[in-house]
Amino acid sequence: MGTFLANLILAGVRMASPLIFLSLAELYSQRAGLVNIGIEGIAAIGSLTGFLVSLITGSPLLGVLAGAAAGILVNMIFAYATVTLCAEQIVYGMAINIFAPALAAFIYRVYFGSGSELVQAGLMGTFKNMLGIKSNHFLVNLFLDQTPMVYLAFILVIVTAVYFTRTKSGLNYKAVGEYPKAAATLGINVIGIKYLSCVICGALAGIGGAYLTTCYSRTYVDGNIAGRGFIALAAVIFGRWNPGGVLIACLFFGFCDALQIRLQLINNTLPYQFFQMIPYVATIVVLAIIGAKKAGPKSSGQPYRKEER
Amino acid sequence: MNRKWIAMTLAGAMIASMAPAFTAYADDTRTVAMICDSSISDGGWGMACYNAMIDAAERCGWETMYSDSIAQSAYYDTIVSYCDLDVDMIYAPGNQYTDAVLQAAEEYPDIAFALLNGNEATPEKAANGNVSSLLPDATQIGWIAGALAGLMTESGTIAFIGGMELDTTLAKYDGYGKAAAYVAEANGKSVTLLDPVYSGDFSASDKGIEFAKAMIDQGADVFFGDASAVDSGARQAIDEANEANGAIKIYDIAQPTDLLGQNPCVIGSQVTDNAGLIELSMKAVEEGTFGGETLFGTLQNGVLSAGEVNTEIVPEDVQTAYAGYIEEMKAGTFMQ
Repeated sequence: MGTFLANLILAGVRMASPLIFLSLAELYSQRAGLVNIGIEGIAAIGSLTGFLVSLITGSPLLGVLAGAAAGILVNMIFAYATVTLCAEQIVYGMAINIFAPALAAFIYRVYFGSGSELVQAGLMGTFKNMLGIKSNHFLVNLFLDQTPMVYLAFILVIVTAVYFTRTKSGLNYKAVGEYPKAAATLGINVIGIKYLSCVICGALAGIGGAYLTTCYSRTYVDGNIAGRGFIALAAVIFGRWNPGGVLIACLFFGFCDALQIRLQLINNTLPYQFFQMIPYVATIVVLAIIGAKKAGPKSSGQPYRKEER
Repeated sequence: MNRKWIAMTLAGAMIASMAPAFTAYADDTRTVAMICDSSISDGGWGMACYNAMIDAAERCGWETMYSDSIAQSAYYDTIVSYCDLDVDMIYAPGNQYTDAVLQAAEEYPDIAFALLNGNEATPEKAANGNVSSLLPDATQIGWIAGALAGLMTESGTIAFIGGMELDTTLAKYDGYGKAAAYVAEANGKSVTLLDPVYSGDFSASDKGIEFAKAMIDQGADVFFGDASAVDSGARQAIDEANEANGAIKIYDIAQPTDLLGQNPCVIGSQVTDNAGLIELSMKAVEEGTFGGETLFGTLQNGVLSAGEVNTEIVPEDVQTAYAGYIEEMKAGTFMQ
């Protein structure tokens, strides 16, 4: 395999990994009928929490767990507002996108003061490093030069696929997103599942954010989520609300982003902005083709009122 | 009833918390406000510009305020917010703020606007003559990094990472490439400078990682950048590549402050004394002479310099040769 293509694939996987967590977060939310556009904000708070805990404890793993906890905490605002108070989901999702990154920036300033020193935390090791493997073969790098979080992302995709299609609990979960009133008549705890979806969504989005500061970059910078939360929304639609489809979508977006970086290097005739457009143009094109037919949960975005007929 | 009390208490607390901000402007102390689209703790441009403002303000007895990590769409609104607080000077460290600064300067004629890296022609465009450009010589900045790159490269391939395609960035890239080629040729080597790449913003450290990895794949062994936190990401990738190789063979030249020791791969820095330029601007405000001019920063007037060289990595003969080239630059004989 050519070096260019091999390195492109490796970069694509690196850049897709945080997207997988964020997209699965959105998938769990939407499968329970909750459209959460606040993934970007939840990931921001997860990213900061992960960074701080990793820095303080020296353990990136604890950072990831703390990121998940912070994500759950922030998403409980969304849960209470949209599930208990039946408020508009889009509005609260947007509110979280405004509030959470600002809160992250505020906490960072409070913790580090107005100092301007670059703070760097340690990163989670890869299996290749842990095993002391020196080979730079493409397959070794692809399968072993990854942090445990990358394996977790792929395992979660499989677990989610099995859960939604092969388990009674998963089918009940999906029923809440399709016809909550019918699900309630079958004795399914609709409110409970919606809250559970918010816990899972918050945890995964927090982990996705924490991944950036515990597995990818040593530093925390405001705005480091850089629109990934919104790409996750597109990935869920692109993936037709199926875990396998979502995985392909994330790999596609990661590949496009990696491609634009490498195309800038080999082409000096076109303006660099042209290449930076590639992931977004690809998103629009794919959504225009695939997103034309509605395939999402039927009650997605609609509030569930127990007493309403 | 309880909700009303809670709401009133919260509102009262918010107003009380803002009180110190208002009292700060009650005395005669002058205030400078900085806006920045990167973080002040980015370990690069944002950090250096913030520290420069703090240093200059301390020397002149001014108060400081800042907003960092602001989006491009918020440049103008942020500047105007500070203007409404009646600050004495807006300090905008970057060519990318030019349009927002000119618009705000027209609406607030009594406020001074210091545009670091502003174009030479920008002050003339200000309707009220209240804009000055602080302009470190970008070509000389490129030379300082390029000379060291030309001496240190072993693969003959060097790289440059930009944040946005600004005039100053292009001038740095041009100076970097020309100086590296000149120095390399003088030492019996040849150098290829990879095409410049741009992250599109100054916060994407992950993009810096990916750019550096891609450029290392293309054989680059000396890096220079003009992209703030993106440069920090690039240094991380370079350090990782060096760790994997078991030796430091890929290097980074930092700017605009001396960052020796921040990362193992940093072999030297190009240093810009922005504080000196800001101090001159503050004094001009105090004397009522501010505006309509460009304050240049060069090697000759001491605003630009070469930072410390990493003596553990850079051989002694290279250090000597590099010091010689810097002297040539100061004397105006470099590449003549």
